Amino acid sequence: MTDRVGTVAVVGRDAPLWLAAAALQRAFGVTGVRVQAVELPSWLGSVDCYSTLPSLASMHRLLGIDEAKILEAASGVPVVAQRFSNWAKGAPPYLVAYDDDPSGSGDLPFAQYWLKGHKEGLRAGIEDFSLGCACARLGRVPLPPATANAELSASYGYNLDASIYAEALKQLAARRGVETISARIADVKVEGERISSIELEGGATVKADLFVDASGAERVLMMRLPGAQFHSWPDRFPCDRVLTASAAKFRSLPAFAQISAIRGGWIGIHPLRDRTTISAVYSSDTISDQAMVAQLAVLARMPVSGDAVVSDLRPGLLDRPWVGNCVAIGEAAAAVDPLAAVGLHLAQGCISHLVTLFPATAGQMPESMAYNDTIRAFASNIADFTQAHYLLNRRFDDPFWDQAREAPATPTLRSKIDLFSARGAVSLRDNETFSEQSWTWLFLGAGIEPEGFDPRIDLVADRPLIEKVQQRLRTVAELAKRMPSVDQFVGGIDQLEAAGVT
Amino acid sequence: MESNIRDIVIIGGGTAGWMAAGALAKNAAGRRITLVESEEIGTVGVGESTIPPIILFNQLLGIDEDEFVRETNATFKLGIEFVDWRRLGHKYFHNFGMLGADLHTGVPFLHYWMRSLRAGGDPDQLRFSSETEAARRGKFGRVQRTPPGAQPNMHYAFQFDASTYAAYLRRYSERRGVVRKEGKVVNVRQNAETGFIEGVDMQDGSFVRGDFFIDCSGFRGIVIEQVYKAGFEDWSHWLPNDRAAAVPAERMAEPSPFTVARAREAGWQWRIPLQHRTGNGYVFSSSHISDDEVVSTLLGSLEGKALADPKVLRFKAGRRRKSWVKNCLALGLSSGFLEPLESTSIHLVQAGITKFLDFFPHRKCDPILIERYNEEMAFQYETIRDFIIAHYKVTEREDTEFWRYCKHMSIPDSLSDKLTLFRERSEVKPYPGDLFGDISWFAILYGQGLTPEGYHPLADAMSDDDLQLRLAGIRKAIMERVEALPAHADFIQRCCAAQPVTTAA
Repeated sequence: MTDRVGTVAVVGRDAPLWLAAAALQRAFGVTGVRVQAVELPSWLGSVDCYSTLPSLASMHRLLGIDEAKILEAASGVPVVAQRFSNWAKGAPPYLVAYDDDPSGSGDLPFAQYWLKGHKEGLRAGIEDFSLGCACARLGRVPLPPATANAELSASYGYNLDASIYAEALKQLAARRGVETISARIADVKVEGERISSIELEGGATVKADLFVDASGAERVLMMRLPGAQFHSWPDRFPCDRVLTASAAKFRSLPAFAQISAIRGGWIGIHPLRDRTTISAVYSSDTISDQAMVAQLAVLARMPVSGDAVVSDLRPGLLDRPWVGNCVAIGEAAAAVDPLAAVGLHLAQGCISHLVTLFPATAGQMPESMAYNDTIRAFASNIADFTQAHYLLNRRFDDPFWDQAREAPATPTLRSKIDLFSARGAVSLRDNETFSEQSWTWLFLGAGIEPEGFDPRIDLVADRPLIEKVQQRLRTVAELAKRMPSVDQFVGGIDQLEAAGVT
Repeated sequence: MESNIRDIVIIGGGTAGWMAAGALAKNAAGRRITLVESEEIGTVGVGESTIPPIILFNQLLGIDEDEFVRETNATFKLGIEFVDWRRLGHKYFHNFGMLGADLHTGVPFLHYWMRSLRAGGDPDQLRFSSETEAARRGKFGRVQRTPPGAQPNMHYAFQFDASTYAAYLRRYSERRGVVRKEGKVVNVRQNAETGFIEGVDMQDGSFVRGDFFIDCSGFRGIVIEQVYKAGFEDWSHWLPNDRAAAVPAERMAEPSPFTVARAREAGWQWRIPLQHRTGNGYVFSSSHISDDEVVSTLLGSLEGKALADPKVLRFKAGRRRKSWVKNCLALGLSSGFLEPLESTSIHLVQAGITKFLDFFPHRKCDPILIERYNEEMAFQYETIRDFIIAHYKVTEREDTEFWRYCKHMSIPDSLSDKLTLFRERSEVKPYPGDLFGDISWFAILYGQGLTPEGYHPLADAMSDDDLQLRLAGIRKAIMERVEALPAHADFIQRCCAAQPVTTAA
C-alpha cells in the first residue's frame, strides 16, 4: 500500500477530541484528507474546569480562534502563576510562573546573578526578579511585549469552563468541515497491529486509514491493540482520586491558581469568572471520598456549593502511543497528575507532533517510531516537573508526604535536582514543556539552596553585578505595575484602554 | 508540752470565718474548733460571684453541689461580661475554661488562633470557648468530663447569696462539731514570753483559749493588726476604688449564666443574678464621685425593683504585710482586700485556707514555715492585683477624670513585664501558682483592646491545612456540645431550684 492517508477517524471526547479533529482538519483538510470525529459521551460535568498552560494560546492562533471571544464564553481567567502553599511546614507559599526564557543573548541566566547576590546577603527573594511572579502577586496579567526583542516577558495560561470550552471547539471543528458521529463503540476490528474498522452501537461502521484515540483514560482504541501497554506510576504519583466541586467566584480575581498540599494529597483553587473550581487530588489509601467531601470547604477556606464529582486518576504512559495505524493523544497517551495544569497541554503537544509526523502514506507508518520517542520524552519531562513538587515536599511527619519524598524518581529528574543543588542551573532536555525559569522558581520555591553557582559569574565584578540585580528588580517592578489587573483583563479591551494599557 | 494543735479559735463569722470552720471541721478532725462571732457586727457581702476553683473547695468539704446551689440560691456562672471597659459601647467576655483544645504540640492553642487571626481569620477567639458560646445562648449544663482535647468540657463557678452561704457553711460546720460562741471579743491575751496568743476574753466575761487563732475579723484585724501590727501595704494608687454601693433587686426572669461588670464614670457596676434576686453594686473611687451620684446611677440602672435601701461599704485596696504571725492566721478582709472585679474575694479566702491546710503547723509554728506561707500568699495577692490593674490600665477610655487617671497611671513592674511579653507573643507567661492563666490574660488584654503583634514562633510549624482542619474540628465539637445543653434556667429548675417546684395540676 502506497496510498496517501485519505481518511482520519478521531475517536474520543471533550476538548482533546475537538482540538485534534480541528487541528488535523485545518492542517490536512485542504489536501483532501477527510477528518471524521467519533464523539463518545462526555465526561465533563458542570463543575469541571480546564486549567491550561500558556501554550494553549498558540493552539488558538493555529486554529484561528478568537481568543477574547472564547475566553468570554468559557468564563476564562488568566493564570499567571501557580501558588504552592503548605508544601513545606512553616514555610511561606511560593510561586511558579511562566517566565519566557530569553532567546540566545549569550548572557548567563539571571538566577546566577541572584544566587551570587543572595550568598552575599541580597535580601530580595527570587520572586521579585520574575515578571510572572511579580504580576501574580500584584494580581496583574503580563501582556506580551509590544516589541519582539523585549528584555523580559512572561506568559500565562487560562482556567476555562470545561463544558463550554469543549462545546465551542466542537462547533469550530464542525465549521471547519469535520464530520461528526456521536455514538458508543460496539467493537473495534483489529488486524495484526492495525485497526481496520470500528463498529458503532446502532450498526454503523467507521473505516479510516488513520485512527486517533482521544478518549482519555478509557483508551478505547489503544486498549484493543495488542502492542499497546499502559504502564502506571503508582510509586511516583500517589494520588488516585480527583474530586471536583464549585465555590462562589472571587470578588477580585487572583492572578494565580492555588495548589495547597494537604494530608494525603492537595487541593487546587481555580478561579473562573462566574465561579471557582475547587479540586482535591488525593490518595484513596489515605482519605476516603466521603471524608474529603466533608473537609473540602474547610481546606479550601471557602463555602463549597453544588455537587462534588469524584473520578479516578491513574498516572502513567503508553509504552507505544502510536501502534500500527492508531495514534493516542493526550491522556490516552500519557496521564499525569493534574498538579501542574498539563492536561490539555499534553493533548496539544501530541496533536502538534502528530501534525508534524502525519503519515506520508497509509502503509507501514514508520513515523510511529519517531512519534513514540518524542511523546515518551515529552510526557516524561512533564511527569518529572510534576513529580518534583511531590519529591521536594517538606511536610515531615505525614506518612503520605514522607513516602512522596522517598519515592523513586527518574534519572533525568535526579540529575536535574543534583545539578540545581550544586550550582542553581537547569539543563533543559529535548521536548521540555517548562522553561528554565519555571524550573528555577520551582526548585528555589521548594527549598533547594544551591551550594554554588556558575563559576563564570565570578568574572562579573561586584559593581556590575549589583547594578544588574538592581536594574532587573526595577524593570520587573515597573513592568508589573504597568500591566492590567485580572479584573481589567477579563473586563475586556475597553477596560484595558481605560487602564492605560495598550 | 503537747506538740500538736488541739484547740483552734476562729475570730469572726461571715464568709471567711465559716469557710475556715468548714474546711477545718472536715480536714483537721480531732481538734476542737470554736468560732466566736457577734450578731451585732454585720457581715459584708451582697451577691457573691466566684471562679471555678470553688468547685475544688466544695470537693474538699465533700459538699453536694445541688444541695449547695439550692441552699445558697445560687446560679451557675461561665464567665464575666465586661461592658464599656475598652470604650463606651464595647463588650467582651472573660471566659472560664479552655480556649480551643490541646493540639499536643507543646504550643498552646491561642497561638494557633492568633496565627489564623493574622491570616485574616475571624477576630472572635471565643468561638473556641464552649463556656462563652453557652453563655451567649443563655445555656448551661454539666457535662461528662473528657480528657483535654477530646470534647470540650464546661468549666463553671457559682453566683450565690453570700449571707446564705455563710449560714449554709455554719450548719455544715456545727454538724461536724464546730462550736459557735456568740459575743464580742474585748481583749486578746498574749503570752508575755513567746508573744503567742493564748486566748480571747469575751464581752460576757468568759475566756476562750486556743493553740491557734484564725483572724476573720474583717478590716480591723483585731489580732493580726491590733495585736501584731502586721502592717498594710496600700495599693490604692493603682486601684483607687474605695467604696461600693450595693443593692439587691428583683430576680431576672432568666438569670444569666454570667456576671456583668459594666464600667462606670468612676468605677464599675456589677450585676450578679441569683435564683431569688439580683445583686447589684457600684464600686467607685470616692475621690472621683460622690456617694449620692453613685447611688442614683445605681438605682437608675436596676433592671428590676430595688428590694432594699442601698448600702455603702468602704474599703481600701491592699494587703496585710503578713498573713500569718506566730500562732495567728488572717483570712479574708483581715489579710487584704482586692475589689471584686474578677470575683476573687472568696477565692483568696479559699486559697488562704487550703494553703494553711497544706502548711498546717505544729503547736510551735515553725518560723520558716510561716515565712514561706506569707511569701506564697503575697504572690497570690500581687498577681491578682496585677490582673485587676490591667483592666483599668489597658483601655481606650479617657472620657472621665477617673479613666484618664487609670489609663495614664504608673503600673507595677511585674505587670509591665507581662504587657511587654503579651504584645510580642500573645502570652504573659504566668508563673506556676498564678491564679489567672494565659487564656484569662488573653481574654482581658485582647478584650481591652491590646492586640498582640506576634505569637509563639513555633505555632508556624504546623501546616496550614492541618491547622484549618483542626480549628474546624474543634469549633464543630464546641457547637455540638453547646447545642446539646439546656437553658440555664431550665437546668436550675430541674436539679437545684431553691424553692420546691410547684406544677400546675
